[in-house]
This record gives sequence, structure tokens and C-alpha cells, in this order.
Amino acid sequence: MDRNQLKKWFESPAKMGHKYSLHVVYFCTGCGIIEIPPSITARWDAERFGVIPVATPRQANLFLITGYVSVKTLKAVIRTYEQMPEPKFTVGFGSCPINGGMYWDSYNTIKHLDKYIPIDGWIAGCMPRPEAIFIAVTHLWTLIDKEMADGYKKYKENYRYYRANQEQLYGKLDWPPLFSEEDKK
Amino acid sequence: MQIWGIILSPLLALVVGIFFLGLSRKIMARIHWRYGPPITQPVIDIIKLFSQKSISHGTIFDLGLILSLAGSFVVILFLPLGQMCPLSSGGLLAILYLMLLAPLGIALSSGEAANPNSSIGISRKFLLALGYEVPLLFILLAVMTHYNTISLVEIVRIQSTTGWSFGSLPLLLSGIAYFLILPAILGIRPFEIAGAGQEISSGANAEFGGKFLAFSTIQHALHEFIGISLFVNLFLGGWSLFGILEPITNTVWGVILGIIVFLIKMLIVFILGLFINAVFPRFRIEQAIKYLWKWPTLFAFIGLIVVVLVK
Repeated sequence: MDRNQLKKWFESPAKMGHKYSLHVVYFCTGCGIIEIPPSITARWDAERFGVIPVATPRQANLFLITGYVSVKTLKAVIRTYEQMPEPKFTVGFGSCPINGGMYWDSYNTIKHLDKYIPIDGWIAGCMPRPEAIFIAVTHLWTLIDKEMADGYKKYKENYRYYRANQEQLYGKLDWPPLFSEEDKK
Repeated sequence: MQIWGIILSPLLALVVGIFFLGLSRKIMARIHWRYGPPITQPVIDIIKLFSQKSISHGTIFDLGLILSLAGSFVVILFLPLGQMCPLSSGGLLAILYLMLLAPLGIALSSGEAANPNSSIGISRKFLLALGYEVPLLFILLAVMTHYNTISLVEIVRIQSTTGWSFGSLPLLLSGIAYFLILPAILGIRPFEIAGAGQEISSGANAEFGGKFLAFSTIQHALHEFIGISLFVNLFLGGWSLFGILEPITNTVWGVILGIIVFLIKMLIVFILGLFINAVFPRFRIEQAIKYLWKWPTLFAFIGLIVVVLVK
């Protein structure tokens, strides 16, 4: 842990702040949410990593999608993701958001979450243990340090692709595009 | 001298308030048998929040937060910090009026965002204020009647010669009543109803993100400082320490030692408040009002009668 390295703090306080203060909005879609209460309370204590659950997407900068995403929930997932302030990071938890998992042939769940919103990292497993969340957090620190956790930038650059995928699923979306063409330049 | 006070006391309040936030997270973690975040975690959070891109919902959304921050800073100028009190005219009456500015600013700001959760949060905040203002008025009236002055500086000075008012018999009941409403003033459990994360998505803070949340956190830290330091000034004798600091009053060392003694007293009261916060669940709003208008009001009212009779 380089929490105590003063040199890094003076070089880029914002980056260190993003690393060590991850305010998480947990999206309680599927069974994955059952692993979250032990990880944020006394047994595994996520707060020592600076990870703390918050109630609204406006206050969050890490989005943890725990479990399968049905077509109906995806709408809420997209809206939550778009409401979060930049820079924001997303982590898919469990095998279902990665490739459908055990719902691979379901008519009502989406198979690849990263077609609809950008994902910075995955936690594979069915279910991953709470320790896996902390391994993911430390990996995310490395990614933020190397400026590789840039999903929110990719979302801005390739917004037309993501929006097209979303509209392919729902027909016409009932909210305006997040970025206009001028924003991208 | 006054200029130094005006510059230094808000800064000191800011540092101490944020330190208290960090300490509260660490102590709460230790009570839960967790390791807990580093004590600097609120500073890291505030640095992060200022570097985020945030969304404003309109002019009042920006100005309301600035109003509440300014209100908190002005109240701090009126509170004696040890022997240092930059603005002393008006005394307790000025403090009573100015204390309303901070929740009003937050209410204006969240009202502009038009989030239903923040509206519920604001209404709960004002209902809670209605609950604790009644005993608070009785308590302040008792203290002002007993010392025959409205000046907080004067009250602290009299206590340094005659002993703490918490120890004097007529004001004991008022002191107990203030300690009973202290969790409601600080907004900690069991009175966490205004900013309940699990019920109403952190209430008035629901639409704050980025630098707005940072300002709101700073305002919260200042608010905690105000609530505790008013208690220490009114009932625990401010900077006085059983007459030990009496010979060096009005010297530089006296002022510095006075501030240190004052902060240590605040720390003790704050940690007692944290223990209450750790063991109690959250009241419902009607339970909170019922409690606040029953026991603390009763104690404060009897305390007022005792003070008037003794006089």
C-alpha cells in the first residue's frame, strides 16, 4: 500500500483521492448482493480500503453490478451509470454480467454487460467470495494508477455505439442522449 | 488581535471538525471490532470530491450551500474558543438566530434539486429542529437568568471564577437536558432521521455530488463543532480548568493553553456522543418528537423554574 507515500500525494492529489476514496453504489440485481453485507460490515470491513456504500449515484464513483442483469434492470443500470459524476469506475461481479453465466440461454437477461455500459474490471466466479471484492479493489488501484481505468472516457468516445446497442434492445429510449456530438470534440 | 481571531477561529474549527469526522469513523469501527479507515479518510474524501466533475441544478442550488457554509462560519465567530472570541456583541441571542441559517441554506439548495428524497429529508430536519429548539430555548433562558447576562463571553468568565455551571446545583438539570438533546443537535443516532441513508437515500444530500457534497461535508463538520462547543461553553466552563489557568489569563500562553483545554473538553463530550451513536438504533420521526418534547423539555422546564426560584 502506498497510502503513506507523500511524494505521490503532492504529485497528483486527485488521482490518489480517486484511489483511496471509492464510494460505491451497489446495484442489487441478483444473488450477488448477498456477498455485500458481510464485506462492508464487521467480518471483512471494506471501510479500511476507503470503500464505503453510499445511497445515491450522485455521491458515488464506483459502480458494482452484482449478479445477472435482466432486460428491465438494464434500463436502471444505464440511468444510474449516467448519473454518476466523472471519473467513475464500474466493476461487474459474478459470472452473469460477464457472459450470461447460468442464464446463458435466458430470453430475458442480457449476456454481455459491456455492450451497454463500459466495464473497468470483472470479478469472475459464482459466487465470488467477499475477499474477491478486495482483490478487485486493489487491482482497480493499480489500474487507476496507470490511468487504465478509463471506461468513462471510452463511453464518451464511443457513445454512439453504446447508445445504438441500448436502442437495439429497447427501441426508442425515453431519455435524451447524454453526450451531444459537440461534447466529444 | 481581533483580526487574528477572525482568521484563526474558523480555520481551527474547520480542522477540528474534520478531525472529529475522521475520529468518529475510526472509533465507530473499533466499537464494531473492525480495523476501520485511516483517520485522514475525510480529508481524502474531500480531495476526491473536489476533483470530481459535478452537476449543478440551478443558481439557488449553488447559493444555498454557500449560505449554509457562511452561516456556520459566522456562528463560529460568535462562539468563544478558549479565551479567543472574535465577535462578542449580541451573545446568545445572535447565536440562536444565526444557527438557523445553516439548515435553511441546505433546505434551499436541496429544494432546488426537486428530488423527493431530499424534500423528505428537509422536512424531517426542520421537524427535528422544532423538537430540540423548545428545550434549547428553556435551557438558554435558564442559563441567561442564572448569570444575569446574554453574553456568552461573560458566562464563560463567571464560570472560570465560580466553577462550572454543570457542577452548580441550580443549572444541573439544564445541563442534563442539553446533554439529552445533544445527539439531536448533532444529527447522530438515535436522531439520524434527517440524513438516513437506508430510508431516504441520505436525505438532503441525495442530489449533492462532487464539490457540492464536499461543501456539505465541511458544513456538517462545522455544525458538529458548533453543537459541542456551545455545550462546553455553557456548561463545562469553556477554557477554565479548576482555576489552574487563572494566573496566566490574557497572556499568549494562557490563550494557547485555554484553546487546548477547550478542545480536550470538546473531545470528551464528542466521544461520549459517539458511544450513544454506536449503541442506539434510529428513532422514527414521531418517536423522536415525542422523546424530545417529553424528557429534555421536562428537565429544562423544571431547571428553569429552579433557577428562577433560587434567584
